[in-house]
Amino acid sequence: MNREGMVKIFGCIGAIVLAIAAPLALSSIYWTSVFTSIAINSLMAASLRTIFIIGEFSLGHVGFMCIGAYTSALLTMKAGLPFGLTLPAAGLLAGLVAFALGYPFMRVKGIYFVILTLVTSESFRLLIYNWKNFTGGYDGLIGFPGAGVLSIPGLGQVDFNGFTEYYYLTLAVVCVSLFILYRLEKSRLGFTWLAIQEADKMAGAVGVNVLRYKVIAFSIASFFAGLGGGLLAHFERALGPQATAFFGVMTTIYLLIYMVVGGKSKFVGPIMGAVVLSLISEFTRPVEEYQPMIIGAIAIAMVMLIPEGLVSIPEKIGKWLSRPLE
Amino acid sequence: MDITVQEFWQGLINGLALGWIYVLMALGLTLIFGIMHIMQFAHGEIYMLGAYITYYLISSYKGPLYMAAGLSMLAMTVLGVILERFLFRPFKENWTAAVVAAVGLSLILQSGVIVMFGLHHRNLPMLAEGPFNIMGSIIVPKDRIVAVAVAVFLSLVLYLFLKATKYGQAMVASAQNPDGAILQGIGPDKMAALSMGIGCALAAAGGVLAGSMFQMGPFMGILPLVKGLLIIVIGGLGSLPGAFIAGMSLGLIDGVFPILFGHAWASLSPLFFVIFILVIKPQGLFGHE
Repeated sequence: MNREGMVKIFGCIGAIVLAIAAPLALSSIYWTSVFTSIAINSLMAASLRTIFIIGEFSLGHVGFMCIGAYTSALLTMKAGLPFGLTLPAAGLLAGLVAFALGYPFMRVKGIYFVILTLVTSESFRLLIYNWKNFTGGYDGLIGFPGAGVLSIPGLGQVDFNGFTEYYYLTLAVVCVSLFILYRLEKSRLGFTWLAIQEADKMAGAVGVNVLRYKVIAFSIASFFAGLGGGLLAHFERALGPQATAFFGVMTTIYLLIYMVVGGKSKFVGPIMGAVVLSLISEFTRPVEEYQPMIIGAIAIAMVMLIPEGLVSIPEKIGKWLSRPLE
Repeated sequence: MDITVQEFWQGLINGLALGWIYVLMALGLTLIFGIMHIMQFAHGEIYMLGAYITYYLISSYKGPLYMAAGLSMLAMTVLGVILERFLFRPFKENWTAAVVAAVGLSLILQSGVIVMFGLHHRNLPMLAEGPFNIMGSIIVPKDRIVAVAVAVFLSLVLYLFLKATKYGQAMVASAQNPDGAILQGIGPDKMAALSMGIGCALAAAGGVLAGSMFQMGPFMGILPLVKGLLIIVIGGLGSLPGAFIAGMSLGLIDGVFPILFGHAWASLSPLFFVIFILVIKPQGLFGHE
């Protein structure tokens, strides 16, 4: 195996070991919940990148997260379904909505698509906010059950209501989702997406159904956004007034910044961006009102100084070290 | 659900006033996009900042509303020119980086206002006091009429500026064909600065109108930004008549639909509207490829 492949595999194993060990080492509920939200953010940023692969940009990813969160919450609350069913349902509904919206939306490109996604997520948020007798509106949904007891093959019945247990559940779902996204990107489908990103007219000319592949990418990305929303809902166990604000433009902006600061050219970039920037926002919590300012300044500095993102730093250092001596 | 005539008229008038505020946003956005090819996602924050500067001038120096609003528009013009030079000019060739820079800017401005003024909702003084009677039975608040008049006036001034002055024509030329415009001695950077200045002034005016009719808060800019962008998609990029028609339709949808169909369905209606337009004419009502 070549060196790059080794780095990838060991980096992946190292990250997973670190993620498993971190709550045990710190053993504080606060940090465990921080890690849970970082895991969810990583999934969101990585799935946002799937839309980027077809050469589009989305500012509406959080809208599909919102659909997922409310689907899962309402299904557990009103229909009494177990979390093991509501979580996939959350993803599926988000994916289906994206599939239906994809056909009209993918008729336009570039900045128009960005605008449409932004409008979509704001419309969903307002719908949730205004549909009082179904989604609870401003008061939100409070006291729906957590993940509860699930039977895991090999482990038997496991109670996922505790913070640490829920963290591991989230981590497992996120890791599997990231693996699927990674494999999809390296598959034939992923190469078709890349072809569309590079030259969509050319791809169409050689017989690729561009519209269909674009819609597929949008739906898959939204499916994982819905999963992220479901995970978030049962982590918070309440979708209150903060939730209707959470599913707004600000979170979308954060996701975009995670992706770009991390570096959108590589799969690991958005995940790295989500982890690093979430940790930075965590450490700047004492000056909470300055938090968005710090993140915004980091974003602007990154696109001005290192537009390829954090993932390009090792490469840059390598180039600098191996530069020819004068 | 019973809807009285008065309620309906109230919705109609509010919708009209809202629509014109959205049009002011859209005109600035389309001007900036037409010349710089950058979508100014921080335009909502310029709108919010315009309202807050007016508020600050009135509460600290007890100035009259109209003077404070004028000064705030001037301040935003200067800010727009500065932003163009130092933030957006480096990203001329790269629209995705420009989007990130714009959203980063909007985070900075929003959190700056929260630090300075807090999260409370505030109010600007009314534009005009008292009601206004049309045909006896229908009562319209006077400030709505003043707001519409101001917005129509500003839009007309912009229209005349673009049609009848040397600089306006230069801007139109630069938007239509930047290379051709350079050959005629029209510098694209100068035009970009001009468009940012004008766009930001219009946004500030919209913010002041909204702040005085409704409430102002640090997040007040998000909704008009979304509507302004939506107007561009519906009306077609760079089309002034398209912006007016789309703005009026969206404003009336916002004003009347909640009364007719309830808030829940009204919040989805702009989305359905834009999907409908996209299906029949993807480049917008008055757009062309």
